Parts: sequence; structure tokens; C-alpha cells
Amino acid sequence: MALLTFTNTGISGLTAAVPRYKINNYEFDRYFSKDEIKGVVDKIGVIERRFADEKTCSSDLCHAAAEKLFKEMDINREEIDLLLFISQTPDYRMPATSVILQERLKLPSSTITLDINLGCSAFLYGLTVVYSMLLTGGIRKALILDGETRSKVYSLKDRKTGFLFGDAGVAALVEKNEKFGHSWFSLNSDGSRADLIKIPAGGYRMMSSCETVKEKVVDEYGNIRSDEQGYMNGADVFNFVIREVPKDFYRLLEYSGTDISTINYFVFHQANSYINGFLAKKLKLPDEKVPATIHKYGNTSSVSIPLTIVSELREKLIGHKRLLLSGFGVGLTWGTAVIDVEDCFIGEIVEI
Amino acid sequence: MKEKLINALAEALEMDASKIKLEDKFRDYENYSSLTELSILAMMDSEFGIELEMKDFNNLTTVNDLLDYIEKNNK
Repeated sequence: MALLTFTNTGISGLTAAVPRYKINNYEFDRYFSKDEIKGVVDKIGVIERRFADEKTCSSDLCHAAAEKLFKEMDINREEIDLLLFISQTPDYRMPATSVILQERLKLPSSTITLDINLGCSAFLYGLTVVYSMLLTGGIRKALILDGETRSKVYSLKDRKTGFLFGDAGVAALVEKNEKFGHSWFSLNSDGSRADLIKIPAGGYRMMSSCETVKEKVVDEYGNIRSDEQGYMNGADVFNFVIREVPKDFYRLLEYSGTDISTINYFVFHQANSYINGFLAKKLKLPDEKVPATIHKYGNTSSVSIPLTIVSELREKLIGHKRLLLSGFGVGLTWGTAVIDVEDCFIGEIVEI
Repeated sequence: MKEKLINALAEALEMDASKIKLEDKFRDYENYSSLTELSILAMMDSEFGIELEMKDFNNLTTVNDLLDYIEKNNK
């Protein structure tokens, strides 16, 4: 049972960038009829989402967010001793995208750079890695860049995933400061369910070939995708999430000794509005404490938690606030965190 | 319990409760899809407190199978 406590480390600033290009899902009838689309969109609640163009990568979205963070928080780049890049849509298979971002952001060569390949829970995993390294004492400031271009991962001809995902990137400045007090994390993984959300080909288990890029009809509903596009077993994932996420939620509250009434906002990974609505109802959380962006940005995987904070809590994190974060998805991995923020800088969302 | 299940199932599948019979294979209903499947799983959890493993759910075929499962596992 991985339960972690940290002291005096936290997020002091957050910015986000999204592609300019908006998809209106109800009108997105390139492959399916509007009637068919309505049934799907009504259920998943993704009204709009953003798609990066062919040339724009996750790293570009993160770069734009980071430049805004540096400028508006007046950060000295020489003081960034750690850059963590979180993504499953990196620039290249090698080298790591964090190294490329070190150069693009003109950070010193003494900066530690590291990539984390995880999905919807990854912002929580990333925070614990950065908090741990900060507590060694040798790091002044750390930058988390978390970006996804999930629109490039899934087939638009597969109605199970074709209307769900969007693109975004965030930048978070993480520092030591007594104002943050304690924070607590629970992190979990279950590799026996790795097949539930997967891109089977294009890695080294099933390398790219002419065969792996061919589109195929994959089920009785006529959904089409290639082996290099993402697959998701929605029912199994849903069933897992509604069982395990509440358990982890209560486990962390108990471990941290947190009174649920002291939490100002519950920020969940934006999976789809049906799952998120079900979780909020099962956990009996008041609507006004559960910010959502699924309707306007879709599911942006690991980015969705910090993106929701930037989008919905920009004017609300004044003074000392306590947040509960809950991430769950591909792996499967899932986690819960209780963190405090104080006068956290949050920039307006950048469009590129 | 039978009436509660039929009403909950009708709501999940967005169909008329009078058309649901215990011997029906619920996956054969016209409104059954990957989306309404989520509603059935959600209904089992919220209405009956049943947290199903998918391998167990996949073994349930008829409305009566759902009812039996609920009666055996209802907390």
C-alpha cells in the first residue's frame, strides 16, 4: 500500500495551453450520422474539445504554457534545477522530450530532465517524484510540464473513443515553502488490466510495419482502427473505476486524517461526464466543489486535473486552499492526493 | 426486489418496464449498447450496492440471472 506524506513542498504556479482549433462534437459528422453522434455525446458530455494541428506536439503546448509561467511569475530560469515532462505522446521515441524542452526553454545544462510515461493518474505520480527530489535539498525550483495530444492517438472512426479525447498542455512550478504544510498521496497500479486501454503496436513488442498501420473493422458495430491507434474497453474501465476510486479516496482521507469538510475542491481526472457524475454522486460530493472541464476540453488524460484547476479555479485559489486530486486510467494506474495551495498563481489559458 | 430490478433496468436501458421479462436475454434488447451497458453497471452499484467484476457480469445472461446475483450478493 503506497501511501506517502510530504512536508513543505507544493505548487506555486500553474499555466495551461490548448490548441486554437475547436471541434464541436455534435457537428463532427465526418464518419457518423448526427443522430448516432448525439447518443454518444449526450452520454460522455464532451461538447467541445481542442485538436492540435499536424505540426503541434504535446511539448509545444507545454512550451507555450511554460513561457507564460516564466514571464508572469518572473521566474529566473537559472533556478530551475529539475524539469519533469509527463506524456504518452512525446516528440520522439528517443531522446526524451524533457531534454529537448530544457534547450527550448533555455534552462541551464545543470537542470535534471526526466520523462514519465503514464496516463490519467500521471500528474499525481509526477508531483510525488518532484516533491521527493525537492526534499533532498539540492533543488531550488522544479518545473512539471504535462502535455497530451490524444487526438492523434485514437481513431476518429471508432465511436468508442472518437468523440472523447482532446489536446492540452500545462506547466507547474513546484517549490519548497513552509506555507504548503503537509500533503498526502496514495498511488496504485494493476498491470493485469493493461489490455483495457492500449495501443498494441508501434513499440518494441509489436514493431511498426505495413500491417500495423492498416485500418481494420474491429467489432460488430463497424468501428475502425489500426493496431497503432488506441483501444479502450469502456465498460471494464468504468466498472474498475467505480469500485477502486472511491476505496482509494476514503483510504487517503483516513491515512491523512483529513476531515472531508476541510477540502475546498475535489478535482477529478476528466474521464467522461458519465463516470465523473457517477463518482461525485457515489462519494456524495456537492456540485460546487467539483469543478469540471470535460464539456469544453474533453478527456486530456494526465493533463485534465491541472487543466481543470487552471480553467475553473483561477479566481478561486486565493489564500490557503485544500484540494483533493483523483486520477485514474491507462495502466491501469490510479491515485488520490490531498494537497494545500496558498495564493497559487494561475495564468489565463493560452491558445496556440 | 424483482420489481425494483425491472424498473431500474428499464431506466438504464431507456425502455418500457412492461417489456422486460425475467427470461429475456438483456443483451438482446434493441437499446442495449456499450453505452447502456455502463448504465446497467452503474445501476447495479447505486441501486443494489453490487460491485461486479466484469468476468462475473459477462456470465450473467438473462434478467433472472441479474436478479439471482443481486439476491445472493445484496449487502
